Amino acid sequence: MTKRTMQEATFLILTALAAGSQHGYGIIADVAQISDGRVRLRAGTLYSALDRLRLDGLVTVDREEIVGGRLRRYYRLTPEGSRQLAAEAARFQANAAAALARLGLAGGTAG
Amino acid sequence: MTDTADLERGYRRWLRWYPRAFPREHEAEILAVLLAGARAGQRQPEPMECLDLLRSALWMRLRPRVPRSNRAAFTAVRLMCVGAVVELAAAITIVVTIGDVRSNVVNRNPGLTEAQWQAVVAGQLEPVAVAAGIAVGFWLWMAWAIGRGHRWARIAFASFFALNTVGLLQGLIRGSAVYARLDLAIGSVLWLVELVAVALIFHTELASSPSGASRITPGS
Repeated sequence: MTKRTMQEATFLILTALAAGSQHGYGIIADVAQISDGRVRLRAGTLYSALDRLRLDGLVTVDREEIVGGRLRRYYRLTPEGSRQLAAEAARFQANAAAALARLGLAGGTAG
Repeated sequence: MTDTADLERGYRRWLRWYPRAFPREHEAEILAVLLAGARAGQRQPEPMECLDLLRSALWMRLRPRVPRSNRAAFTAVRLMCVGAVVELAAAITIVVTIGDVRSNVVNRNPGLTEAQWQAVVAGQLEPVAVAAGIAVGFWLWMAWAIGRGHRWARIAFASFFALNTVGLLQGLIRGSAVYARLDLAIGSVLWLVELVAVALIFHTELASSPSGASRITPGS
């Protein structure tokens, strides 16, 4: 049976949290930056994904702060979240390497 | 009233679509994110924001709340969704194959009058089609209930399985398969799906907190 692949938004959220804990708006901004502006998460989508990731034990609440009278809740990766992100990144890397190698063979040059 | 207060009130209205436990834990932080991302001078949520909140709220009401690591429960939920699709196909099949059934009935009973045939349709075929339609709803309800960790759904689904087993055996004994073999094939497929789903839901431990309203604390 093939292993279920991670959705791009999930991958990017986990990537945003890989360097350290972030609050919701920080994740949205970071995901936009990582994806070069291609993926712009909306709040509903983000919190739906975070709820699922929390349920699956991939992220956890790190801390809470009140900034300007508003609640900021910071999320971080769990060890299982780090493991799954690393596995998914390795899978993407292997697939990309295979694609680039074949393009290089087929066209004579990769670029 | 300020623009921000108007906007916040607008967002709060859309957050009411979420399951009750969710805004209790997340409303303050989602509002902070929504307001941080709003345009200067924005007074009302934009249509795409409303659509996003509504879509994720409905999805959170419907989607399974068992962790993906609970593969037995997850597979059972998927099988139940498959069961709903097959049951829908069965309901459609009953309607579509009614002509074949009539031919078989007429072949076996050459003297069958139109009134007698209408009695067969009203007394036997229509109730079966209606029951199949109800069963589609039941399959989906069970998929939702198991996905939310409701333990009572195991008993309900097992009872449904037992009823269908009896029904299938009665159909075989009465020879209904002679009239519509496709119905029997679909019934058998559904029975197998039910059998596997029953085995899975009794094999796994379902969550005791189906609402998923676990209190958030740092480190949770």
